Amino acid sequence: MVPKDFLSHYGRQFGTLIGLLVLMLVLWILTPHFFTVPNLLNVAQQTSINAIIAVGMTFVIITAGIDLSVGSIVAFSGVVLASVLQAGLPVPLAIAVGLGVGLLSGLVNGLLITYGRLPPFISTLGMMSVARGAALLYSQGRPISGFSESFRLLATGETFHIPNPVIIMVLVYAAAHFVLTRTKLGRYTYAIGGNEEAASLSGVNVRLYKAMVYGLSGLLSGLGAIILTARLNSAQPIAGVMYELDAIAATVIGGTSLMGGEGRIVGTLIGAFIMGVLRNGLNLLGVSSFVQQTVIGSVIIMAVLIDMALKKQRT
Amino acid sequence: MNNVPMLEMQHIRKTFPGVVALDDVNLTLRKGEVHILLGENGAGKSTLVKILSGAYQKTEGKIILNGQEVEIRGPRHAQELGIGIIYQEFNLVFQLSAAENIFLGRERTNKLGLIDRKQIFESSQKILDNLGVKIDAFSLVKDLGVAQQQMVEVAKALSLDAKLLIMDEPTSALTDLEIKELFATIRRLKKRGVTIIYISHRLEELFEIGDRVSVLRDGKQVGTYPIADMTQTDLIRLMVDRDLKTQFPKQYAKRGEELLRVEGLSRKGVLDNINLQLHRGEVLGIAGLLGSGRTELARALFGVDKIDAGKIFIRGKRQKITSPRDAIMLGLGFLTEDRKSQGLIMTLSVKENVCLPSVERFSRWGIMDLKAEDQAAHQSVQELRIKTPGLSQKVVYLSGGNQQKVVMSKWLCRQADILIFDEPTRGIDVGAKVEIYKLMNRLTAEGTGIIMISSELPEILGMSDRIAVMHQGQLTAEFPAQGATQEKIMGYALGVSNGA
Amino acid sequence: MKKFSLIILLVAGASFLAVTGCQRGNNQAAAGPTIALVMKTLNNPFFIDMQLGAEAAAKALQVNLVVQAAEREVDVEKQMQIIENLIQRKVQAICITPSGSREIVPAIVKANRAGIPVLILDTRVDEVALAEAGGQVATFIGSDNFEGGRIAGEYIVNRLGGLGKVAILEGIPGHETGDARLGGFRQAIENSPGIEIIASQTANWERDQGYNVFQNILQSHPEVQALFACNDMMALGAIEAIAAAGKTGEIIVVGFDAVADGREAIGRGTMDGSIVQHPFEMGKLAVEQAYQLINGQSSPAYIPVNIELITKENLN
Repeated sequence: MVPKDFLSHYGRQFGTLIGLLVLMLVLWILTPHFFTVPNLLNVAQQTSINAIIAVGMTFVIITAGIDLSVGSIVAFSGVVLASVLQAGLPVPLAIAVGLGVGLLSGLVNGLLITYGRLPPFISTLGMMSVARGAALLYSQGRPISGFSESFRLLATGETFHIPNPVIIMVLVYAAAHFVLTRTKLGRYTYAIGGNEEAASLSGVNVRLYKAMVYGLSGLLSGLGAIILTARLNSAQPIAGVMYELDAIAATVIGGTSLMGGEGRIVGTLIGAFIMGVLRNGLNLLGVSSFVQQTVIGSVIIMAVLIDMALKKQRT
Repeated sequence: MNNVPMLEMQHIRKTFPGVVALDDVNLTLRKGEVHILLGENGAGKSTLVKILSGAYQKTEGKIILNGQEVEIRGPRHAQELGIGIIYQEFNLVFQLSAAENIFLGRERTNKLGLIDRKQIFESSQKILDNLGVKIDAFSLVKDLGVAQQQMVEVAKALSLDAKLLIMDEPTSALTDLEIKELFATIRRLKKRGVTIIYISHRLEELFEIGDRVSVLRDGKQVGTYPIADMTQTDLIRLMVDRDLKTQFPKQYAKRGEELLRVEGLSRKGVLDNINLQLHRGEVLGIAGLLGSGRTELARALFGVDKIDAGKIFIRGKRQKITSPRDAIMLGLGFLTEDRKSQGLIMTLSVKENVCLPSVERFSRWGIMDLKAEDQAAHQSVQELRIKTPGLSQKVVYLSGGNQQKVVMSKWLCRQADILIFDEPTRGIDVGAKVEIYKLMNRLTAEGTGIIMISSELPEILGMSDRIAVMHQGQLTAEFPAQGATQEKIMGYALGVSNGA
Repeated sequence: MKKFSLIILLVAGASFLAVTGCQRGNNQAAAGPTIALVMKTLNNPFFIDMQLGAEAAAKALQVNLVVQAAEREVDVEKQMQIIENLIQRKVQAICITPSGSREIVPAIVKANRAGIPVLILDTRVDEVALAEAGGQVATFIGSDNFEGGRIAGEYIVNRLGGLGKVAILEGIPGHETGDARLGGFRQAIENSPGIEIIASQTANWERDQGYNVFQNILQSHPEVQALFACNDMMALGAIEAIAAAGKTGEIIVVGFDAVADGREAIGRGTMDGSIVQHPFEMGKLAVEQAYQLINGQSSPAYIPVNIELITKENLN
């Protein structure tokens, strides 16, 4: 019984992990530039922002919800953060402000969904527009650029030869994995997504935990905004367009069910890397711009198809 | 009834990876008979039925329909062969009308390619009328009662010209009156030469409707017998191969202090001035027809639905319960009527389900002690003898009886001592039922108080200490179980008798 | 709960009105004719400058100026709706920066029928499609993006001494403006056989993608000596990738549009040049020409606006 049990637990990840490895193998054969330490670190760094946002998305999707506002929250948090940095606020405080803007935006989503009883799709769709508009209004449509070296180190610096965004990403994943598997919040996240009514009848404070999950998604969007801003040395009100779709894609490729109740954080990391590796590989190969989008879309569809087929086989 | 077999299944064998679900099963159905299929959950009844309905393919054996060997290739093919099935959970689109459901997927079109609504409604009405049921073909399925919805399913099968109708637990959600109507319909179908395979756990009703009975045990056929030659005890013995001294092994525990007292509980339009008490060590049985307010009472007590008036005292202290969370904190536990949609989280494991109400007990600063949780879950699984390959098995893969035990263990693990059981044995087999009754004995012996809501009067009589009867939102009578009769309870439930 | 959502709605609605109300206030001052300026988007510094130019001219001439744009630069459909609404409002002239050079034609025809003169800015309308539909525009005010691309190409060829390896960051594929810039650049390169284009990839006009894509190009082609990015946003992303690779100053970077951040980067020396158009000038000319047209005077069919390269030397 042990191996079967193990499979049912980790089987889904095997499918996507194998997909990622095959993709990497193909790129290794096709181009000598792919399988080098600097390039792999580049991929990790390029993937980090989407991967971090996708963590919040994974929590949300496990509760059978969706968060369409993450990209706009990235832009809004980014311009607010940039403005307080330029106003001379110390870096740690400015970071707190950036995270806070994300958290608050997420909590507003959460409140609208729980107390306002709006479907997540509607409330986050609204927030997507509201946060984007707020970012544009706040910045008057112009990018805010030029920050101190100490702030920029967050994205440009390295620790033990590993780029800081990658380290932040790893820490976020370790923490998210812990939260999802070892804490009350994690357990309730699965329970709410699996069967909200049964969870409520088992004494779970559904509203509180749902609001927390959307808050978390906003918070991580704020973190994404900090890294993005530090990396580009600029915050733009039009940043983060389509980030929500990338995050949803990473989550779903990683085996999290849009129906809720199921999903693992490691899967999301693999999903984010499949997208990151693919984009990197297409650049390295010099594939024409017209072909790139088609390839990325096809891979998303294929990954989910294979995953579903594997899942069906096991049951 | 003639003796021409309309369907023969010979030496049927069905294996799944690692499991033999059916082994050398032979079944002969005569035209126009009601053939009972009996067996514990997991005995192979549903596998057999699924082979007939085309959902599964048999591994070995022959199926002979009207003298010709057939291979049933799929559900669609089964329909074409005249085999109809009515599942416990209906395959109806609730937003559509009865007629539209009856012809769903086979909408006849007129010359313009538009759906010929008139024709659909007329034929549907004719089929429904022939069934002897009063259903307007125009009414939306969601507005119909459960029994009527079932009739729409029957009509759907008949519209496909079904010669063999399989009914899986058709009475599980029906009231006694509705069951009578269903049986009348079944008799009418028999007269028209329709053969019926009837699956049910309610032994008493089998004698009323069945002609012959085939008993399955562990995937093997025990035998086929004329029902008139059997008694309930015979059937139980054949099913479980162990002589149950009694179906209801009630043990009386010492009645202790008061756990729960309800005074004047009301909820507009649903509950009217309910008064009741529950003491340690007793089972309070609540009887009543569907819609009499039984489940609503449980929901109000557990804080799911708001109450408009009334006081609730827990262990002598007045308490306000405004959410299930409040109720759980006060030591209440609620085993809901519908375990799939309210009791269990199908995507989670046995352990996660068992421990869900107790998560706070196993966590500190939000971080869970997984070892302690494992231990508690392990203990519950052992105590309740839940059959599962492991604690991390998803509950969706367990049998109905074991799922129900998981729901119970949620509250045992939480150490709730005021338990509300709503239909605790619905849809589970005799063996598992007895286990659940024994568990209730153990709980009352330990000082737990249990409110048991049930539609099955023998269960109410057999397991309660006291019985309360509800009628139209009111508690119309309360009396000791000893000496009570089914007739007495029915009298109050129907509102014929009055006063306690 | 209902009360709660209602309050949120009311608050949201009220603040929305307040915000839009304030913006309205700016434009309703003068009593003269009303001229509309329909741009691709308001989220891009280029168009913000264009708006400022138009506003300056409107103030000087005492005309009402209505400025509108779609949210996204490529949303032609939205732009058409805006134009249709403006026709209903009976503005006296419409200045358009088309989001799609063919797709905008039906809207121009509608304006023609309503007798409203149409002035085109920045992006040319497809002349064949316009002629087929029987539409006409009063004038085109803009710079030649193809020419801009060519100027950038010649600069890079000169800097490299006619020998070297060049990469390109393209805009969103199929985009009129980007295609013209790219075409001009490629033409200049083709004239110098010693220059090789080793990579040409899209970064979808965006800064973060400019970073990622050029980082990847640096991996596969570490020998790259020069980069032409079809807008400054992508160039600005790329210079951060260059800085991260420790190669600042080793690669010639030329962008397009000379936005504020781009100018600053040129001043710092992290970027070498950018092609500047004069959106302020375009906006100003558009309103002035529209004013003339309303007053019965005619306009030349093409009013070129200077396009040039700026580098550290001629930055100010």
